[in-house]
Amino acid sequence: MEAMMNEENMIEVRDLKKGFKIYPDKGSTIKEKLLFVNRRKYERREVLRGISFSVKRGEAVGLIGHNGCGKSTTLKLLSRIMYPDSGQIVMRGRVSSLIELGAGFHPDMSGRENIYINASIFGLTKKEIDRRLEDIIEFSELEEFIDNPVRTYSSGMYMRLAFSVAINVDADILLVDEILAVGDVSFQEKCFDRMREIKAMGTTIVIVSHALPQIEQICERTIWIDNGVIRDEGIPKYVHEHYLREMENKRLEILGKEEQRKAEASASAQKDDNEKKGKSEGQGEELPSFCSPLSIRIGNKKIQFTDVKLMDTGGREKTVFKSGEPFVVQMDYKSDEQGLSGNFGIGIFRDDGVHAYGTNTLIEHDSLVPIRMEGRVVVTVTDNCLLPARYMLDVAIHSEDGIRYDDIRNIIPFRITANKKDIGVCRLDNFWTVDGKLMEKRKYED
Amino acid sequence: MNKIQEIYHYRTMIASLIKRDLRGRYKGSVLGFAWTFLNPLLQLGVYTVVFSVIMRSGIEDYYLFLFVALIPWIFFSSSLTGGASCIISQKELVKKIYFPREVLPISLVTCQLVNMLLSMIVVFAVLLVSGKGVNLIALPFLIPVILVEYLLALGIAFISSSVTVYLRDLEHILLIVAMAWQFLTPVMYSIDMVPERLRAVFWINPMSSVIVAYRDVLYYKQIPRLNTLLTAAGLGLILLAAGWMLFGRLERHFAEEL
Repeated sequence: MEAMMNEENMIEVRDLKKGFKIYPDKGSTIKEKLLFVNRRKYERREVLRGISFSVKRGEAVGLIGHNGCGKSTTLKLLSRIMYPDSGQIVMRGRVSSLIELGAGFHPDMSGRENIYINASIFGLTKKEIDRRLEDIIEFSELEEFIDNPVRTYSSGMYMRLAFSVAINVDADILLVDEILAVGDVSFQEKCFDRMREIKAMGTTIVIVSHALPQIEQICERTIWIDNGVIRDEGIPKYVHEHYLREMENKRLEILGKEEQRKAEASASAQKDDNEKKGKSEGQGEELPSFCSPLSIRIGNKKIQFTDVKLMDTGGREKTVFKSGEPFVVQMDYKSDEQGLSGNFGIGIFRDDGVHAYGTNTLIEHDSLVPIRMEGRVVVTVTDNCLLPARYMLDVAIHSEDGIRYDDIRNIIPFRITANKKDIGVCRLDNFWTVDGKLMEKRKYED
Repeated sequence: MNKIQEIYHYRTMIASLIKRDLRGRYKGSVLGFAWTFLNPLLQLGVYTVVFSVIMRSGIEDYYLFLFVALIPWIFFSSSLTGGASCIISQKELVKKIYFPREVLPISLVTCQLVNMLLSMIVVFAVLLVSGKGVNLIALPFLIPVILVEYLLALGIAFISSSVTVYLRDLEHILLIVAMAWQFLTPVMYSIDMVPERLRAVFWINPMSSVIVAYRDVLYYKQIPRLNTLLTAAGLGLILLAAGWMLFGRLERHFAEEL
């Protein structure tokens, strides 16, 4: 089996299955075990029904899904806390799991002593801990308090110490479960940077989290687990949008059902009234034709887009532009309410989730657009320095304090093609001089 | 073999758990670590008063006779009963972090061993102060005796720790078992008091050999009977192997059962 494994893969998981016995009333004492032999009926809940994936060296993967979908179980199987019923897991190298922080901390012992206990539980030897001690203390920013008993620490300090130990256990594979909400914002930022550093050094990371933006920041790939199987897999931003859309639909479905139930309950009394209300609030509407099927639309619709077009400066609708070619976004809207003003914005995301550009009327002109019954707002991008890639356009109308009137993500996919071979996010115009003279182009090239 | 290597790799964890237990136990008390010595010393004081003033027995220096056997017995029985709770009490750790689970019973038993060795210091001090003295030729035999007891204690702790996860009653049952076992082992009496026809049965109990050997070295100041000790060592190895195998099987579902 080992031979089948791709050298590049640090983690290889094949057809993983795991179920739990759920006892309605579990008895683990002898009396219960003997007396209620036939009462010991249990349900078997299949938490994982066959999951396969692999993770390359230096790759970071996020596992998402609603509660109970099996993502944490997957992580526990990877970290060998549990064993699968069937299927295979191959892990290469040292595994460290940041599933539980501060394991084994003794409140009466000093921070320094607890570092030793905690790190040893992660499998470090005394020598290895000695070598990391300074880094751990420095990272925790607890130098002054390190010899005080841990019980005198605030919960923030406690978590900082715990995280510092965990993050300094170098490993080839790091498994992380929902723990990046540590300490204050600046410490969180630091933890994040540290994760990126670790990743840059070639560590493979698997993160389970509900904080999708965190996954987007670190991971190249998201695996969405739903009901024990992989539902979708790919670039975080897109998988997350797919996931969020699904969640939103589910929510609306439940909401709709509730609405219906309420309506039925008071049906006889105000039948007509309720039906109308139920309908107008149900938001599971179809996307209009100017949106791509990938679009996600949110907002209260007090102002709404009636049409959005991506065009060249000549007014022709286009979805392929050359790098450097100006383009125009034309947004038509309508509103039933009078006296509103709107902040119109556009956003451009590259297909790997990089937020390439974003602006709005408030940023550009420090003012809002007075809203009429119908209107048209046009943005012309004169200096398009995006480099070749696939992109997605987002458009939005918000109120001054950020209330979303209409917000459509991924409304139009478009593409930028090359005219030069420079690389990166965008082109930075430049010229070169050599020995004080402007560099010339090679003659034979165009 | 891999497992042994892995456990060896986790030696620092074993050491820190022991240290945490030893240091944590008396933390906050005024006398602190001194309790480790005070506790057996005070126990000895009670025995001395009871058995040389109130309940006189025919055995000379009965308090010493009892004490040199009781200290090793406590090592064994606390491995048995403490083993039962050592996985359950570290529930959070077992559910959240990977480490070879053997680490927990190993550190428990080793911690009890360290406790016994510390109490032994008191034993030696009393032996010397009371004028009983020690036999320097017999003394080195204490090392294999301790080793055999360690094997037995570890074997039994593997079993009690892993089975209790599935059968919580065991924790309470084992308290009774430990008490009965103590009375069936010549801790409070001498093996010579056992009727002849039952004596063979007594030697099956490996702890009889171990306790008798401790007493031979420390109380009678003589080289212990090696044949019974060898049998006990053999039984210890079998118990350890069986215990470890059972532990290995049961360990796979610890995280789910806890």
